[in-house]
Amino acid sequence: MKGYPSITPLIWYQDPVAALAWLERAFGFETRMVVDDGQGGVIHSEAVFGDSLVMVVGPPHGAAASPAGLTGRHTASVHLQLSDGLDAHCERARAAGAVIQREPATQPYGDRVYTCLDLEGHPWSIGQTIEELTAQQMAAATGRDIREKL
Amino acid sequence: MAKSLGFQSSVIYQDPKAAMAWLEAAFGFDTALYIEGDDGSFIHCQMRYGDDLISVGQEWSDDYKSPLKLGGKNTQLTSIQIAGDVDTHCERARAAGAVILAEPETQFYGDRTYRCRDPEGHHWSIGQAVEEVSREEAQDRLGGGVKITGWL
Repeated sequence: MKGYPSITPLIWYQDPVAALAWLERAFGFETRMVVDDGQGGVIHSEAVFGDSLVMVVGPPHGAAASPAGLTGRHTASVHLQLSDGLDAHCERARAAGAVIQREPATQPYGDRVYTCLDLEGHPWSIGQTIEELTAQQMAAATGRDIREKL
Repeated sequence: MAKSLGFQSSVIYQDPKAAMAWLEAAFGFDTALYIEGDDGSFIHCQMRYGDDLISVGQEWSDDYKSPLKLGGKNTQLTSIQIAGDVDTHCERARAAGAVILAEPETQFYGDRTYRCRDPEGHHWSIGQAVEEVSREEAQDRLGGGVKITGWL
C-alpha cells in the first residue's frame, strides 16, 4: 500500500484486542485499522505513533508465538525513538502495568533509554536522543571500534 | 506529547555476523552501523532498507533467542515494503537460501506479497503496492465473517 514505511514490525499476541488497548494506554499509540476474524482474533491491524506503524495480530498459529506462550522468551524486540518526553513516557507505561527492566538512563552514545516488557512479555526499548554524536565520537565514548561497513 | 521518530525491529540471531551477510545478499539490506569489539566480536549492527532500519541482535540474555533455539517459533515478523518488483525480490531471496512459505500473490488489499523464512527461522513478509483498493472493495473481496474497521 502507498505511504507505508519500508519496514514494519508485526507482533503476535494471544489477545490482540487487549494488546491494542494496552498499547494505547501504556505507550500512547492510536489504533487506526483493525481487521478482525469474527472470533475475537485479529488478522491485521495498524497502531500508529506519529508517522510510525506497528501491526498487532493474533492469536498466533503455526510458527508464530507470543512470549506468553514461550515462558517469556522472544525472537525480536521493538525500539521506539521519541523526540522528547522519555521519562514521562516511562511513567505512563509503568502506570499501565509495563514491567520496567531498565530505568531511564543516558547512554554513552548520546541517547536516553528505558526498556520494558508489555502485557504479554514482548520487549520494547524506548529512546530519545539527548546529544547527537558522530560515529567517531561514539567510538571514543564507548571505547569500541565503530564503522559504517562490514 | 512526545512525537515518534520511528519504530525499529531488533531481530535476534545466534550468528549475527552471518545474518548481516545473508540479509544483504537475500533482501538487499545495507549495513548502516556496525560495532565490534577489539577481538572481532559482534556488539551491535543496524541495517537499512529504504528509509528504515532494523537492528541485527544477538542472544544477549536467556530471554532473547533465535528461532533456532525455540523450535522455529517467532514472536514477531518483519514486513518490508519494497518499491521494486516483488517477484524478482523473491527469486533473489530464494537463490540466497530463503525458504519461501507463500509464493508471490496479489492480496485483497492491493499489495503483491510473499512470505519466507531466513536461515535461522525468522519469518519475513515482503510486499509491493500494485493496486489501489477501497475499504468497500476489500470488504467485498474478503466476504462474510470478517469486519474491517478503518482504512487508508
